[in-house]
Amino acid sequence: MSLAMARPDEAARSAAVRRFALADGLFRGLTRAAALLVLVILGGVVVSLVEGSWQALSTFGLGFLATETWNPVTEKFGALAPIYGTLVTAAIAMVIAVPLGIGIAIFLTELCPRPLRRPIGIAVELLAGIPSIIYGIWGLFVFAPFLQRHIQPAIIAATKGIPGLGQLFAGPPYGIGMLTAALILAIMVLPFIASITRDVFETVPAMLKESAFGIGCTTWEVISKVVLPYTRVGVVGGVMLGLGRALGETMAVTFVIGNAHRIAPSLFAPGTTISATIANEFTEAVGDVYTSSLIALGLVLFVITFIVLAAARSMLLRLERRAGG
Amino acid sequence: MKQDMSLAMAAAATRDAPAKIVVRDLSFFYGQQKALKNISLSLPEKSVTAFIGPSGCGKSTLLRVFNRIYELYPKQRAEGEVLLDGRNILDRSQDLNLLRATIGMVFQKPTPYPMSIYENIAFGIRLYEKLSRSALDDRVEEALRRAALWEEVKDKLGQSGLGLSGGQQQRLCIARTVAVRPKVILLDEPASALDPISTAKIEELIDELRADYTIAIVTHNMQQAARISSRTAFMYLGELVEYDDTQTIFTSPRQKRTEEYITGRFG
Repeated sequence: MSLAMARPDEAARSAAVRRFALADGLFRGLTRAAALLVLVILGGVVVSLVEGSWQALSTFGLGFLATETWNPVTEKFGALAPIYGTLVTAAIAMVIAVPLGIGIAIFLTELCPRPLRRPIGIAVELLAGIPSIIYGIWGLFVFAPFLQRHIQPAIIAATKGIPGLGQLFAGPPYGIGMLTAALILAIMVLPFIASITRDVFETVPAMLKESAFGIGCTTWEVISKVVLPYTRVGVVGGVMLGLGRALGETMAVTFVIGNAHRIAPSLFAPGTTISATIANEFTEAVGDVYTSSLIALGLVLFVITFIVLAAARSMLLRLERRAGG
Repeated sequence: MKQDMSLAMAAAATRDAPAKIVVRDLSFFYGQQKALKNISLSLPEKSVTAFIGPSGCGKSTLLRVFNRIYELYPKQRAEGEVLLDGRNILDRSQDLNLLRATIGMVFQKPTPYPMSIYENIAFGIRLYEKLSRSALDDRVEEALRRAALWEEVKDKLGQSGLGLSGGQQQRLCIARTVAVRPKVILLDEPASALDPISTAKIEELIDELRADYTIAIVTHNMQQAARISSRTAFMYLGELVEYDDTQTIFTSPRQKRTEEYITGRFG
């Protein structure tokens, strides 16, 4: 009887297998198309950036990257000031936000009393959800005047005459400027770093932590020697996401940086960043070379972001090799 | 029945070495739920005590009280006394880090730290001792030799501990526990995730360690308990049902439940 049953079964089964094969093939094709689409879009962005910036790059050559002048009247453009502003504001933002963010994550996962955990976690995530334009107006109308009135004069007075520091914090307290932009950026990237780091900290197996506590480690030793090394890939990923945002953030920075195309030694002086320049000047760019220069700035930002990502990757690889992985 | 037990314990106590750990009327709570019910027993010094019983009987919980690792979690608390060399370790004044360095623990699954083999061992030593490089090297080698791992890893001390096999990782964890020179070693089902050959190696190792350390082991494998321990405690539903010489437990248990469990009729 089982043999008699087996025959029609087999036919039905092979029909089903054919159906599955078709559906499988279709699904494979779809997922591959989705993956390829990413490459196509990326390629398209690169091609149009290069094409759009071609005129500027052929006019100014590599000097475009090393020139501080940005003069729409004489149509002489150089990207040095925005590049400097982008890198410096992002760097200062990261110096502030990374330790703070990791500190928040450590507090939330290891030290925070349970009833406070959710409220603080939600507050951090809400901070990430605030639109950048709100940071911008808050920065311009509240934060910058506050700095101008209370913080900057004190810092200027305190560092006056100290070699190095004195120049770094010199000049009249405008309120707006490079440091203000960097501080706003730090506040903006902080929730990204904090919440991603917290999420990866929570992936550490309880048993691994217990075994570290189990040989007599203090909480600090467990975190620095076990939790952080175990999660370093995720933590670096979170930091890079934050850095990516800091490099590319436009609106809030445009509000508070002052938009001056020059490189000043003082962090209180107004400056500009790549994205702020593009956002500010795109509508008034009349000449072809002007427009092309702005697109070239976009290309530069793209390359900077790419280099940062690549550097992060190679840093991770080196860490891994050193840990003997 | 209760008298029987205390009699047996008294008898055992006189036969055995002095007690290293004495548990007095210990109860343990996960929130409202009582997981250990008034446990009293003592672990003799430099011997292996096995804890057996069905899942959820509280044997791992008891082990976790001995180094107070449960305190990492809120809502877990212990009542009663656990005396280590006559000092109550549940006392608030007990320094937790010191306690955990004194009472080492090896877990169910291997938990090598995310660092090199050498660092896995050296890390714990450095927490409490300042040693020269060569003295540290010696201690690492000694610990790895004790854990019967030295020959297998001596040429790759710089590589990650995560690259070892499961059995090697577990011996690495034992080595790292031994390296800080604890007085007591707690083993929470140390071989349950390992193949028979690795298990045999771990058992040999435990047999060698008993000369220097007081060992408490939780196991689901009754043959393992019979092979390696000199005393066995049978626990059920948070109670200590029977505690006696391993020989006695496995050949002529006093309690019916013990007999049923070790002969495989329940559990």
